[in-house]
Amino acid sequence: MRVSNVTVRKRLAIVLIAGILIFLIIDIRLGYVQFALGDLLTQRAKDSWSRNIPFEAKRGEIVDRNGVALATNKSAPTVYAVPRQINDADATAEKLAESLDVKKKKIYGYITQRQSIVRINEGRKISHDKAKEIRALNLKGVYIAEDSKRYYPFGSYLSHVLGFAGIDNQGLMGLEKYYDKELNGEKGSVKFFANAKGQRMENMADDYQAPRNGLNLELTIDSKVQTIVERELDNAQAKYNPDGIIAIAMNPNNGEIVAMASRPDFDPANFRHVPPEVYNRNLPVWSSYEPGSTFKIITLAAALEEGKVDLEKDHFHDPGHVEVGGARLRCWKKGGHGSQSFLEVVQNSCNPGFVELGDRLGKDKLFKYIKDFGFGQKTGIDLQGEGTGIMFNLSRVGPVEQATTAFGQGVSVTPIQQVAAVSAAVNGGILYTPYIAKELVDPETGETVMKKTPVAKRRVISKETSAGVRRALESVVAQGTGKNAFVEGYRVGGKTGTAQKAKDGRYLENNHIVSFIGFAPADDPQLVVYIAVDNPKGTIQFGGTVAAPIVGNIMEDSMHALNVEPRKQQIEKETTWLDTPMVKVPDLMGMNRKELREQMDNLRLDVSGKGNKVIDQAPSPGTKVKEGSMIRVYMEEGS
Amino acid sequence: MPKRTTPDIILLIVTFTLLAIGLVMVYSASAVWAEYKFSDSFFFAKRQMLFAAAGIIAMFFIMNVDYWTWRTWAKLLVIICFVLLLLVLIPGVGNVRNGSRSWIGVGAFSIQPSEFMKLAMIAFLAKFLSEKQKMITSFRLGLMPSLSLVFTAFALIMLQPDLGTGTVMVGTCVVMIFISGARIWHFSILGLIGAAGFAGLIISAPYRMKRITSYLDPWEDPLGSGFQMIQSLLAIGPGGLFGLGLGQSRQKSFYLPEPQTDFIFAILSEELGFLGGTFVLLLFSVLLWRGIRIALGAPDLYGSLLACGIIAMVAIQVMINIGVVTGLIPVTGITLPFLSYGGSSLTLMLMAVGVLLNISRYSRY
Repeated sequence: MRVSNVTVRKRLAIVLIAGILIFLIIDIRLGYVQFALGDLLTQRAKDSWSRNIPFEAKRGEIVDRNGVALATNKSAPTVYAVPRQINDADATAEKLAESLDVKKKKIYGYITQRQSIVRINEGRKISHDKAKEIRALNLKGVYIAEDSKRYYPFGSYLSHVLGFAGIDNQGLMGLEKYYDKELNGEKGSVKFFANAKGQRMENMADDYQAPRNGLNLELTIDSKVQTIVERELDNAQAKYNPDGIIAIAMNPNNGEIVAMASRPDFDPANFRHVPPEVYNRNLPVWSSYEPGSTFKIITLAAALEEGKVDLEKDHFHDPGHVEVGGARLRCWKKGGHGSQSFLEVVQNSCNPGFVELGDRLGKDKLFKYIKDFGFGQKTGIDLQGEGTGIMFNLSRVGPVEQATTAFGQGVSVTPIQQVAAVSAAVNGGILYTPYIAKELVDPETGETVMKKTPVAKRRVISKETSAGVRRALESVVAQGTGKNAFVEGYRVGGKTGTAQKAKDGRYLENNHIVSFIGFAPADDPQLVVYIAVDNPKGTIQFGGTVAAPIVGNIMEDSMHALNVEPRKQQIEKETTWLDTPMVKVPDLMGMNRKELREQMDNLRLDVSGKGNKVIDQAPSPGTKVKEGSMIRVYMEEGS
Repeated sequence: MPKRTTPDIILLIVTFTLLAIGLVMVYSASAVWAEYKFSDSFFFAKRQMLFAAAGIIAMFFIMNVDYWTWRTWAKLLVIICFVLLLLVLIPGVGNVRNGSRSWIGVGAFSIQPSEFMKLAMIAFLAKFLSEKQKMITSFRLGLMPSLSLVFTAFALIMLQPDLGTGTVMVGTCVVMIFISGARIWHFSILGLIGAAGFAGLIISAPYRMKRITSYLDPWEDPLGSGFQMIQSLLAIGPGGLFGLGLGQSRQKSFYLPEPQTDFIFAILSEELGFLGGTFVLLLFSVLLWRGIRIALGAPDLYGSLLACGIIAMVAIQVMINIGVVTGLIPVTGITLPFLSYGGSSLTLMLMAVGVLLNISRYSRY
């Protein structure tokens, strides 16, 4: 059969229509790609064209409560290479390797990478001198970029609290780690559009995304007090060469940590120079040991709150030991303190007297108060690695355990627990959570992002009981074992502690942690200071001898630093033959020479002026001075 | 012999318009590359201009050569092309470019035998089918001999391998056989067999399979098999309705490899947008219409089939090329007629148009 011409024509028409249809489908597809997929593809294309040069965010500063910088940033040059711009990789590697003191092969590896920009890790955060040297080499394709490095202007000061940050400015320890997320900012970048060879495409604008700098962290620390504490610790270190020292200063009325330090310490910039256990352990919150007599404050507060004792009226006879459950517990003083009021029991830190108080309370009450004061649990301070301490399990507490606990033996507590508990005992009875970070502030806007407020956990004792505790502890310093902490006019109260160190279940000989916890002024405590010295050498190991004077010094200077007014009224210091007694300067105004001579038997006079009548004197009347001090008077012609 | 009249002016205008767009686009797409590689942004544009000039001269020459001449030479041309296709497979004679041994000759005087085979096959099939039209409805006497010849050529081309050119050639020949009056049910059966064979070819070569999978999800391997497709889509996508403006393409900046050849339509869509792309498709549609019109008006069946074969080749090549560029079908290396850079492709296309123009001179309309 012959195919007709009509068939050919028909089929040609079919082919034409089919062809046009296929073209139409292709055009629809083109429209679909350009309109329906357009935005998605444009975004992907932009991602593919854009090159990001990272802009590091500035890590937030850490400052004290007055804005003094404790941890800040220092510019640190870093070496970068742009491999495409390096013509002679071999020579460049050689020169750079020599300058950075690394193997040439390593540098060669960096600068021949198929990347637009390579950071030379061995050239990170180098000194400015080194950077200058490398710049002077004038190597093509090698750049020095600005990076920042953590800088601690005070060196080892507050090092355990601050911790340190690593090479990528990441917090590794201490507050730097605890608040790492907040201190860290967000990286920014300059985005420029480049062709596939990495060169800029001129017809597209750059896109700058500013880095968001990290938040500044303001602490409750007062660098003035911290400086005083650090100084005293340095002195004690030099004097006693102890195994360690722990110091905490806290505002008892809200839980703000004002100062915290310990020895041995380290320089955050060179933390690798000390063993890890030194920088890993922030002793004031980490360590846990037998508190000794400082713990008696808890027993005292409990007994007062429960009305089990009247300090003035109740009396106690201490024969030097007490028999409990068949065991003989000794007082620290050989032969005992004899007959004494319970106030004197506190002043003398008499162990059998506190065993008696513990007995009057009973184990349930005693341990309830210990728990209420926060022992046996973490205080919740915003620092890493807080310890819990060890308490007797109540079901296992027999007469001996109850007795030793009452005077601070056989339990294990952390320094921060003691500070928090004693603060509660003297601040009117409220237990606060200690804290060290006060605010997080946006460095650009100055806006406060986070502000911590004091957290009151619970009321432990009444206001009246707290006042009684303060009175008793002030008398400990004025008249008892804490005399070395006495500060004229600032009404220091406190308690000594001397704890034996246990090792392998036995107490060590001649190896004590001597401590003192003090507060001032006793009428309205503004500061609680705790000092513990571990195994001081060349001294009698008593808290009253070693730790009390350190607290006294810290208290005296800190009261001035905190602008606390000296008090007029105080429990006067009971003098011993060792002390020079203090006398009040009499009012000499208007006296004549004869009267002056009669007045002054324990002070010296420096008289100036000619007349016969005192018209001015220094120091002014009522001031306390040491016996035998010089009083200057000015005399004029009287009528 | 019928009297010659004027050639199809519309076909001529459309061809020149496409050629002009192609020259501009080759320059725009290749300038960055040319500057980078040869420090001369006009490197490719100048050469394309020369190819175009040579092509136009050849086209006008062929326009005046009676198309019956090709019937006389068709057999010889096909034989020569078969020989060349065999020669090109011999290592040392055939040169490998982009993974295919499809070039023969030295330097600038290299040719692709498969390109010539496309035209030779069209000429031969037009002669064969017009002479054996009586037998075309017979499976054994008409269909089988013509198809055998086509598939032998296809097999040789696939040995290079060059799936793109092979597919265009087979597609063109199938259209010609269809036009000549082959039975529809023969086609249906052969279509099924062909599809199965095609699938087998794809599965047999891992790189073809990869092209299929990367076609289905180019982002699965964006730097490997999906690379070209992604870069092409990343060019077209941001183009939008009006495009980024002539010369403003970003993808030509080394992202899309050799943007002046197979993927020139992507750059065109990026710079001139949907409107530019549609305009080019419209021009090709007009070309198709004029081609079919010439086939309809040809004084004999041989002329009809020759015209139809030529225009089918152009159209199929356009469909495959733009289909690939827009992600409609898997990546197959094939040029866009009149627009892509490339000497053999351009001159052969213009010569084919020359044949079309000659046929149009004998049109009955």
